[in-house]
Amino acid sequence: MSEHTINLVPVMQTVESARGLPNDHYTSDTVFDQEKQSVLFANWSGIGFGKDVPNPGDAKPITFLGMPLLILRDQEGSINVFQNTCRHRGMILVDEPKNIRRVIRCPYHSWCYDLNGDLKTTPHVGGPGQNTHEGICPDELSLYKIRSYVWHDVVFVNIDEQAEPFEVAHKNLIEHWKEFDKPAYHGGTDSSFTLTVKTNWKLAVENYCESYHLPWIHPGLNSYSRLEDHYHIEEPNQYSGQGTLVYQQLKDDSGQSFKDFDGLSSKWDSGAEYIAVYPNVLLGVHRDHMFSIVLEPKSNELTEEHIELYYAQKPEETPEQEPLRIKNSAQWKEVFAEDIFVVEGMQRGRHGKYFDGGKFSPAMDSPTHNFHLWVATQISSHTNDT
Amino acid sequence: MTRDELHRALLLAHSEHNYDALVDLYQQAAAMDQHNDPKQSFFFLTHAYVFALDTNHEAADSIAEQLRAGGRL
Repeated sequence: MSEHTINLVPVMQTVESARGLPNDHYTSDTVFDQEKQSVLFANWSGIGFGKDVPNPGDAKPITFLGMPLLILRDQEGSINVFQNTCRHRGMILVDEPKNIRRVIRCPYHSWCYDLNGDLKTTPHVGGPGQNTHEGICPDELSLYKIRSYVWHDVVFVNIDEQAEPFEVAHKNLIEHWKEFDKPAYHGGTDSSFTLTVKTNWKLAVENYCESYHLPWIHPGLNSYSRLEDHYHIEEPNQYSGQGTLVYQQLKDDSGQSFKDFDGLSSKWDSGAEYIAVYPNVLLGVHRDHMFSIVLEPKSNELTEEHIELYYAQKPEETPEQEPLRIKNSAQWKEVFAEDIFVVEGMQRGRHGKYFDGGKFSPAMDSPTHNFHLWVATQISSHTNDT
Repeated sequence: MTRDELHRALLLAHSEHNYDALVDLYQQAAAMDQHNDPKQSFFFLTHAYVFALDTNHEAADSIAEQLRAGGRL
């Protein structure tokens, strides 16, 4: 199928008249590859978390849509992302998470790169025992550095290097949540889990964006969090999500809850928000914890949801709250698990050849429509550029 | 240590991925050939340097100086 055969005009209408993205955007390998380039590589996509490389020299290799990448924390504590490929013969440099003590040594011919990606030495490159050659210029052979940015502990990358700087592309969202721009600490082993879901990654975004489904899929919320207690969050061409006005803190048997993040306004006393940072990152903020989710598209019908929870205090400083952290993780895991049959069901439904992308509720589905419109815009503009 | 003993020690260190030991053993191998076979000596010294970088061994910078002095780095 050619990318030009899919008509996205019906998607790019107002919510009242638009249709959703056509089936091929969920079921076609060709369109998956097209979206890989025009949506996921062309924007700031999440690939992992800073908490996975806590110490200087920590390196974590990942494969993002077939692209071998290396997340690496340098000696100053900053995180960089490199293409995990040796400049010599294209060998994968790092195969498993490890701490780099001084250099990344290619396991093939032992070309070595420092933590900044600079080529440090090229053993025997000029013959046995001769480690230089006039034809080899180390300054031209640094590791390929991928544009990256860390926000809410998510490591974002822009693979095609064409996106605006992260701070520009997400200026409005950064401003919207500036109250949460403060230290947050990962809750530890039990605050980390991955769900493997038989769905296209976009359906996980779409389900996350809207509150319409809450009373049916998460009936446990109905007793205290009614549908009318939620509101839409929409920024055209940038992000969307939902907020609640009735967030209730989790408490342990003695009535203790997690410590609040410092300096929050009264909005957050009972407010919480859940926003999809297009294309593939889902974030949630509450007065006492946050979570970050990276949706890893494994194929057009398989997605891994990597979920991490963060708190205002370090877990090692609050061991007495470990049971409460475990309880919070379990509660969120239950919520996200409740969504699995929905996103998997919508995926299977998109094999129905007469499904036309669906009809949105103008009142309830506009955050989802916002996402569809953005995806369609990305594809259309990329197609026009190429 | 004889050349045979050194050879066996190198093989063992490689099999155990004992890179700290490899730094020392390759330096010994380089020293053994320093006068009779300088080319082979720099070959071994190069290996010592690579494993010293890999392990952030304290000898890394001095080995680099030796290689640089010999026009090998």
